[in-house]
Amino acid sequence: MVYFALLLLFIVSYSFYYFGKNRALKIKFTGDQKLASLPDYYGYFLVLVVFLPSLIIWFILLLYKSNFQELYVMSPTLFPDIAQWSDAKFGLIMNKISNLALIVNIPEADLLKGQTSLLNMSSESELIAAKNLASFDSIYGWSIVIVFILLPVILGLSISRLINQKLNVQPIVEKIIINIIRFSSIVAILVTFGIFFSLIFEAIKFFQYVNFADFFFNTAWNPNRAWVISSGETVDPEILKDAFGWVPLLTGTLLVGSVAMFVAIPLGLASAIYLAEYASSKVRDIAKPIIEILAGIPTVVYGFFAALTLAPILKNFGDSIGIDISAESALAAGLAMGVMIIPFVSSLSDDVIRSVPNSLRDGSYALGATKSETIKKVVLPAALPGIMGSFLLAVSRAIGETMIVVMAASLRANLTFNPLEPATTITTQIVTALIGDVEFENPKTLVAFALGLSLFVMTLILNIIAITIVRKYREKYE
Amino acid sequence: MVDNNNFALKTNNVYVHYGNKMAINNVALDFPKNEVTSLIGPSGCGKSTFLRCLNRMNDVIDSCKVEGSFIMNNTIDIYRDDLPIENLREKIGMVFQKPNPFPKSIYENVAYGPKIHGVTSSQSELDDLVKESLHRAGLYDEVKDRLTDVATGLSGGQQQRLCIARAISIKPEIILMDEPCSALDPIATAKIEDLINELKENYTIIIVTHSMSQASRVSTKTAFFHLGNLIEEGDTSKIFTKPDKEQTNDYITGRFG
Repeated sequence: MVYFALLLLFIVSYSFYYFGKNRALKIKFTGDQKLASLPDYYGYFLVLVVFLPSLIIWFILLLYKSNFQELYVMSPTLFPDIAQWSDAKFGLIMNKISNLALIVNIPEADLLKGQTSLLNMSSESELIAAKNLASFDSIYGWSIVIVFILLPVILGLSISRLINQKLNVQPIVEKIIINIIRFSSIVAILVTFGIFFSLIFEAIKFFQYVNFADFFFNTAWNPNRAWVISSGETVDPEILKDAFGWVPLLTGTLLVGSVAMFVAIPLGLASAIYLAEYASSKVRDIAKPIIEILAGIPTVVYGFFAALTLAPILKNFGDSIGIDISAESALAAGLAMGVMIIPFVSSLSDDVIRSVPNSLRDGSYALGATKSETIKKVVLPAALPGIMGSFLLAVSRAIGETMIVVMAASLRANLTFNPLEPATTITTQIVTALIGDVEFENPKTLVAFALGLSLFVMTLILNIIAITIVRKYREKYE
Repeated sequence: MVDNNNFALKTNNVYVHYGNKMAINNVALDFPKNEVTSLIGPSGCGKSTFLRCLNRMNDVIDSCKVEGSFIMNNTIDIYRDDLPIENLREKIGMVFQKPNPFPKSIYENVAYGPKIHGVTSSQSELDDLVKESLHRAGLYDEVKDRLTDVATGLSGGQQQRLCIARAISIKPEIILMDEPCSALDPIATAKIEDLINELKENYTIIIVTHSMSQASRVSTKTAFFHLGNLIEEGDTSKIFTKPDKEQTNDYITGRFG
């Protein structure tokens, strides 16, 4: 229904484009004065004045649908004491009325037993309210039809009468369009802030249970200690002192990330240099997309590749040379992650290296430098800031990566810098915290937000540094 | 008439093809030692292509095929297989149309060539060489206090003189200049032209230029190219006053090109 109406709105708006344009073209000019704006703009103008108000009213109707419902149904004439109701009671009655509304218009003979008894248990005013609620949907539907068809047509027709030779609509249209574009970018920014604040609010709840210092500086991670706490209870922070120390998670994250960068940086950079400087354009056209596929493989596939293929191989290899490598080692997860982020390094670095102007290469060759001298001493130094930027973006991808480590890394917090030992990461623990069957208000669940916030801040800082470096580099040749 | 030994570079039977397209058609041109030779002609006439053959910069372009004989100092065939291209370019330097300093410090720009070729054996020797090259390029006084600044911060004319300093730092015998002033304003151009006049005492200079007045100001010998053919060559004064060929006359009087 709504979508059909929306489609109608589009059609109505679109036809007003031609209506407005034609109206402008049909104006009989007086004197040598011409139209104040180009004819197209009268069309755009009508489309905007027709389309936008309907859209805005529709959003308001959607957003406040339940409020309108309550206003319409829960009137003080039906329930004289409604002002004294608690929120809980209000909710209960509203719930009951919603259920009643589903059956109130069905003939008694067709009702099930339970439904009949629900009807019998309800008061007269509740039944009336239920009938009102049942009729609300059709009223709501009609209001949408009005908003989408009647309103635009009336608006369009009346405003089109204003069109005359002197009405300069161009600045109005451009202003509206600019504001629409501005609004879109504001939405994107607001969403980012929304995510950030939702993290902060939940994290604040977590820090009501756990000391700041205990979280950031303690080296013990035993979230299961929070089992004993039930919701709303105030607890002695001493109980949770050794439960949520994030240090081993941080080291685990850095450990897995370092292994990944250890793989990705040399391989990525070397392939970038090969692609940009040595490969023929034919080879490059084929090889680059193939390397980029690595980033497109679902991370869950890397996860079981690391857990089921890589880890046993590493373990067997370790056994054969007498080194004990854990089945859930940071090494396996890091290696798989490293392969995944190779394209981040190679693709970005390749672009950066290729954007070094050829005139610099020519300058170096003309001084009798060989190709490898030119790459080492001129091209790479010139591209270095951009290459560093690609490294940092890859790092922030690595420490935010979840699925691979959930599958391949350990769940046990282990404060170590030895990649052969098991280690857990921040992202793994976030997943574990949220999929547990503990109630939401428990610190064991809430810790996910504190961890998420820390991770968010870490990657944010890395990204800011990376973007600053890349931007600085761009300015260099301009 | 002129002694053979006085030619820095002699070319003969030069053909250049880009794929199937002929760019240079049977050109023979000799370059007298310690003189400035200018190559003139309308756009696309092949003068830059010809210039880039002289230090084998065209080797980078896959589709480009160069034939002919290029003899340096009457002895060295510069297209000989066993001649390392790096050694050749040490002897024949080049300055490009657009100033292309490396995004390094002014000092590092000039020191780049000597470092690669191991010209100097100590840091102080290198310092002296950098200073001397900057001096000769007429840039030293302007940059002596900021040798460690990034070279891309210099003005266009300064950048081009830096590129000349960079080219002479490895003491080449020949300097190729590919429209070195086309990106510069008249004042910077005048400085470069003065510089060319000074440099010809020690170097053989071959310059491609679009400006006929520049050719007449700086060069003693001029060659006129058109559509890949060498139409006429000779003393600059003769080419610009009474050329033998009508095409040359049309070009220098501005009737075409």
